[in-house]
Amino acid sequence: MRGRRVSQTTSEQPSASEGRIAPEGRLGEGADPSVWEVFRQEKDGDPMRHAGNVRAPDRELAMHYARELYSRRQESVRLWIVARTEITDLSDPDLLQPPLDRSFKKPGGYVMRDKLELAKERARERATKSSDT
Amino acid sequence: MTAEARLPTRQLIKPDLPAFDHATLEPETRAALVELLMTMADDEFVVGFWDSEWTGIAPLLEEDVAFSSLAQDEIGHARIWFEMAAQLSGDDADRLAFHRAPEEFRHARLLDHPRTDWAFSIVRRWLYDTADSIRLGALAESSFAPLAEVVAKVRREERYHLMHLDAWLRRLAAQGGEPRDRLESALHSLAPDALTVFAPLPAEGTLLDARILAAPTSELARRWLSEAGAVLAQLDLPRLDFAQPPADGRDHSQPAESFRWLWSEFTSVARLEEGVEW
Repeated sequence: MRGRRVSQTTSEQPSASEGRIAPEGRLGEGADPSVWEVFRQEKDGDPMRHAGNVRAPDRELAMHYARELYSRRQESVRLWIVARTEITDLSDPDLLQPPLDRSFKKPGGYVMRDKLELAKERARERATKSSDT
Repeated sequence: MTAEARLPTRQLIKPDLPAFDHATLEPETRAALVELLMTMADDEFVVGFWDSEWTGIAPLLEEDVAFSSLAQDEIGHARIWFEMAAQLSGDDADRLAFHRAPEEFRHARLLDHPRTDWAFSIVRRWLYDTADSIRLGALAESSFAPLAEVVAKVRREERYHLMHLDAWLRRLAAQGGEPRDRLESALHSLAPDALTVFAPLPAEGTLLDARILAAPTSELARRWLSEAGAVLAQLDLPRLDFAQPPADGRDHSQPAESFRWLWSEFTSVARLEEGVEW
């Protein structure tokens, strides 16, 4: 199903993104079709960042209103205007914030310092040997 | 910085106008150019004020911001034309904008109509913007380089205005019932005055000879009737069928009541106290 919202299964707490971006809640199918999310690029090479949203009856007026609300003072070089109905919202904590320890999936989860020292030592020894021959 | 040393706001925020030497123009050409610039400045100024009346009461919040921003753009364009006219004639842009009598204004009579309803404002602005776009096109290759330079910039902004107005015209035309009825009734009231944007200028010949204006206003009117007419025909809207722009299309020797009222509004702050620098 296109644009289906993957709902929260274990938590009654709204996610941070939901509270900030979509106070009315629904995204994807069943979302308010008159709401368009706007992303803006401040200058060439910058990433697109979420700017806010506009309410408009169709894509054309959404484009005009995005232009007026997010670049009438020349603050953007590019805008993306996306119908809220087209957005897949993923905020399920089981998928994004699983409860078990995930430190082994991060570089900081490994104690690298000792292993690195040993590897360097071995590399130095090999270099000395090869220069002796 | 002391209060005495502070410059008036207008001297701190310079208009987007290239430096130029007005002595490069013959006095007669200069006078004719000032007349043309004043018609353009007054058109933009008056339509900008009428449309700014929608601030706070437009049909959608987003449209409110958009339409107000468009109105502001027109005041910005008016400022450029007032400044250029002032520099050419040794006058002052603030005086031209806020300290002339209603009788001295030279805007097209099309812009004398009050705000009325949303469809009316959309039609008025669409008629004016499409006409203005033809006029700007005839100035794009002007022999007076500073004018051609500013026109190029203004046209880039007007492109967006046309897109916006066109979207609304089509939208209202595509709806049956009340929106369509209001649109048609607005066209009926405004169409007879639409050609006043191309009212002949007193010294038009001078501007054509100096290659400042590329074509006579009667020719610009024909172009506009054909272009705007094609859009209206496509939307099955009432035709614009009148031949010549009226000679008195910019005459305000007997100002319309609606314009007297608008004038009293936009000069109200400037008239509070003579000689004050803001």
